[in-house]
Amino acid sequence: MNILAVSINHHTASVELREALHLSEDEIRKLIHIAKEELFSEGLIISTCNRTELYGIPKDQKLDILDIQNFIFTHKNNFDVKPDHFQTFASTEAIKHLFKVISGIDSLLIGDNQIYHQVKESFQTAEEMQFSGFLMKRIFDAAIKTGKRAITETEISEGAVTVSYAAVQLIEKIFSSLSKKTALIIGTGESGELAAKHLIDKGIGRLFLTNRTLEKAEKISRSISAEVIPFNEFKEKLHEFDIILSATSAENLILKSEEIRAAMKKRNYSSMVLMDIAIPRDIDPTSRDIDYVFYHDIDSLNIIVEQNLAKRKFEIPKVEKIINEEIGNFTNWFNSLEIAPTIKDLRDYFENIRADEVEKNKNRFSPDDQEKLDIITKRIINKILHQPTVELKKINELRSSAEETAAKVGVLRDIFGINNNKEIKE
Amino acid sequence: MNTTIDTINVFLPIFYLITFIIYSFDFWRGEKRFANSKRVFLFITLLLHLVYLLIRTVQFNHPPITNVFEIFTVLAFAVTFSYFILELITDIRGTGPFIIIISIVFQVISTILIKDSPNVKDVLRSNLLGIHVFSALLGYSGITISAVYGFLYLTLYKDIKLNKFGLIFNRLPNLEVLETLSYYSAVLGFVLLTFAITIGIIWLPKAFPNFRILDPKLVGTFLVWIIYGIGIMTKALGKWRGKKVVTLCIIGFVIAIISTIMSNFLSLSFHSFY
Repeated sequence: MNILAVSINHHTASVELREALHLSEDEIRKLIHIAKEELFSEGLIISTCNRTELYGIPKDQKLDILDIQNFIFTHKNNFDVKPDHFQTFASTEAIKHLFKVISGIDSLLIGDNQIYHQVKESFQTAEEMQFSGFLMKRIFDAAIKTGKRAITETEISEGAVTVSYAAVQLIEKIFSSLSKKTALIIGTGESGELAAKHLIDKGIGRLFLTNRTLEKAEKISRSISAEVIPFNEFKEKLHEFDIILSATSAENLILKSEEIRAAMKKRNYSSMVLMDIAIPRDIDPTSRDIDYVFYHDIDSLNIIVEQNLAKRKFEIPKVEKIINEEIGNFTNWFNSLEIAPTIKDLRDYFENIRADEVEKNKNRFSPDDQEKLDIITKRIINKILHQPTVELKKINELRSSAEETAAKVGVLRDIFGINNNKEIKE
Repeated sequence: MNTTIDTINVFLPIFYLITFIIYSFDFWRGEKRFANSKRVFLFITLLLHLVYLLIRTVQFNHPPITNVFEIFTVLAFAVTFSYFILELITDIRGTGPFIIIISIVFQVISTILIKDSPNVKDVLRSNLLGIHVFSALLGYSGITISAVYGFLYLTLYKDIKLNKFGLIFNRLPNLEVLETLSYYSAVLGFVLLTFAITIGIIWLPKAFPNFRILDPKLVGTFLVWIIYGIGIMTKALGKWRGKKVVTLCIIGFVIAIISTIMSNFLSLSFHSFY
């Protein structure tokens, strides 16, 4: 299987380099256009914040990994990219790497299923650009199947692995339905915005945002359909919120324990969740001592994150088993592409010899015997070819690797001088 | 027939134990492998128990409610049956071990100590008694389940407060669900107990003309009824919630148990039939 792959990812390169090598959708399309002309008959380019990868089936058999690396150097030559920054794969290993990527076990955040959608989109781009041929389409199907199996048959993507999502997971352990709850996000930085989006995704009833810079809160509120409260007014309405998530960069406490206690009294001690994901903290930690107040800071949320990451790591062997099964299925299919034509070529080769010799010598036989000659010679050829045919079929049944198959088929073709350059046709 | 009754009597705790182990394994491992099979096994156990109760009724010519150990086996059945219905309605499958263990305790005591009693006192042959006992047993299974969910609520509440994110945190439903399950079980238990008490008040002077108003069974039952009444009313009026209500449910359950032990085992009450 002549497929090559190079990858620059979080295992090999710094975040600066990964950012520098990140390709936009337009850049990917331009690069595919050039790669089609210069290197590959078909292929795939994946680029996310943690990896940029190039897969392809070389047009020229002599093309090697170094040529692909040079191709990237040429088109991203503004950066200090060295060969050490690449992971390189060939043949089955390249496909195995792709399966690992799509199933999330090669991700920085193990089990991150965002990569599944990113790879899917990359395949769609390749298809639109007619960079995806017969083989890549089949690889795409196998990769998608592997990714889906990893998500559904294992718990590799289960549980929150970011602090803001862990906060939402914890909230769901206190309230049964978020659709009847009201939440307030204090601070609309990156963490606050992410938490707001998670709450919207979980169907929060009403969401309010507050920020010292009102315009920033208003801007975000428009994109996620939330309401805005001026920063100097939110304390008056504290008792109205079931969930308060604070993520500001304030140096001092924003909410004091007494303020929480007063709010709880006003809401008749109906449960209130306080998530303080700011450093330094925004909410007085002694609030946790008030009945029905569930106060959690970044340290307690990190406990959940660490537990979930450990659980996901525990799932890796199960995902690897799925990958090996799917690699086996794919290899089996691929081998059948080489073996079936070889059997046919071998039979045609012997049949041509037999037919030639029968034609040359049939006049030596009586008309009655000519028919017998035809039958007997065919029977001889069948007997001679029986064992090689069985052996070739066995390669498929035993799920031999693509390399082993290619070697055995190559030897057979060389011995009998059968044309070895037949291309796999659709 | 007696051999069949004795055989099933021995097998019942074993079946409950196996069901408990399957539920506990599923709870411990958190895999969904036994999600459906455990429910099937629970159903088989309940079916066997129902067959046992029916055979007993036919063989001894009275429902198994004439002594405390017969009551215990019916209670074991009622508690698990109520849980089974609750599991079917809510599809909350993680709390089974905590309920089934209660049935195991009742059934083991019953299996060891139950006696075949073809002859019972005339006073126990009343139809009113049958209605009284069955509604009381269903009421008690309601308050038992309420107490279990109340206990689970308190445990999860404490774990979340103390940042303990272990098995309890990962497997149990959320606090609001536990509180709701505890509350509705208590309401159902309270209604059935009210009905049982009403029947009892009607039947009592006819059956036991010399009863004492301060009989431990009467005092205990009245106390349990008052406690649940207060808990349900305060919650319904929005005065109390969460911890306070479930604690009251647990206290009510403990008093119900103490009252049963006092009246039936210490023979201090007219209510002792053993």
